[in-house]
Amino acid sequence: MTKKFAILPCNGLDKQNGPISREVALALLEEIGGKVICPVLLNNASPRYEKLLGELPLLVIDGCGTKCASKLAAGLSLKVDRKVLITDEMKTSALRPEDTLSPGPAGMEFAKAVATLIAEDMPEEAMRNSESLFSAPVDYNTFTHDKYIFRVPREGFFFNENDCWVRVSGTRARVGVSDYVQQNMTDMTYFSPPPVGKTVEQFDEVGTIESVKSSMDLISPVSGTVIAVNTSLVESPEIVNEDPYEKGWVAELELTDFDSDMELLLDCKSYLELIRKKAAEEH
Amino acid sequence: MADDTFMGVKRELIDWHPTIDYSKCDFCMECDKFCPHNVFEHRDGDQKLVVANPTNCVVFCRACAKTCGPDAITFPSKPETIAAIKKIREEGAEQ
Repeated sequence: MTKKFAILPCNGLDKQNGPISREVALALLEEIGGKVICPVLLNNASPRYEKLLGELPLLVIDGCGTKCASKLAAGLSLKVDRKVLITDEMKTSALRPEDTLSPGPAGMEFAKAVATLIAEDMPEEAMRNSESLFSAPVDYNTFTHDKYIFRVPREGFFFNENDCWVRVSGTRARVGVSDYVQQNMTDMTYFSPPPVGKTVEQFDEVGTIESVKSSMDLISPVSGTVIAVNTSLVESPEIVNEDPYEKGWVAELELTDFDSDMELLLDCKSYLELIRKKAAEEH
Repeated sequence: MADDTFMGVKRELIDWHPTIDYSKCDFCMECDKFCPHNVFEHRDGDQKLVVANPTNCVVFCRACAKTCGPDAITFPSKPETIAAIKKIREEGAEQ
């Protein structure tokens, strides 16, 4: 089922990313409907959009890494359902817009392709049910530092030093972030899943989480192909705070070479020691 | 110190840090505002921002580059860095 959005595009006028963001928004309107929000009006008179934002989920299209549109949404405490970054799309798309301020035919074609990707990318449909592979209850070790109590599973998980975990079952694996990360970042506000079907090498990015305090790219502990993402985090990113090792999993992968990946991973005991040191240094 | 090593390899032996392309950088300082590890520092003169503490950079983190509007920040190749880390670990194991 295709979902309509209230679309907040970048308003940049000094380089092509802004006009292209606008074209993506217009192409989406044509393809699936929805409404476009004017960033300037939203900034000056946000109540004008209250009704619309109550009716439709919000899609933010940022032109470049400065992410003005995202910052505007965050400043007004708007709940963002979906985000797109045009510079990222330019890196992954085979299409190249012209190097002109106003999009030419290639820029328009690129904008249309990005709109189609957004319209078609319905993560809930990509989800495959493999709950049973990862349903065994997890036992935890804990340690206390000041007011913090950090949890690390007793066994069955491996970690990289970027504080991301992997839980393996046969040739499948789930990845996520550790309790140490969620406590440091505090309340999660947004989850951007990796695309299903994406091939990742070990230490490649596999999704992004944002909190009221900061944002973090998940660095995959393993290599493989993303076969499912945890769509419940899109609606409720706070699940990562509540249950980072089980319900807060981020992505599921079909593994490529776990034996080789293992060389650069820590077991539960070693990871517990690592965060003991990190906590002593940072808190 | 946990941050002095990465997977048992001395951090200073791992070539992983941002590089600023000064022909693109507009000194908006978004990367510096974002990075909690004090990798960047402000300076007087033409290059108002420098990578002052490259070994503070978290190995494989590229998040600051994503905050960069003009796309002025680059990082080394990840596969090459992984290969270099594995090589150092093997050499260490042989000693």
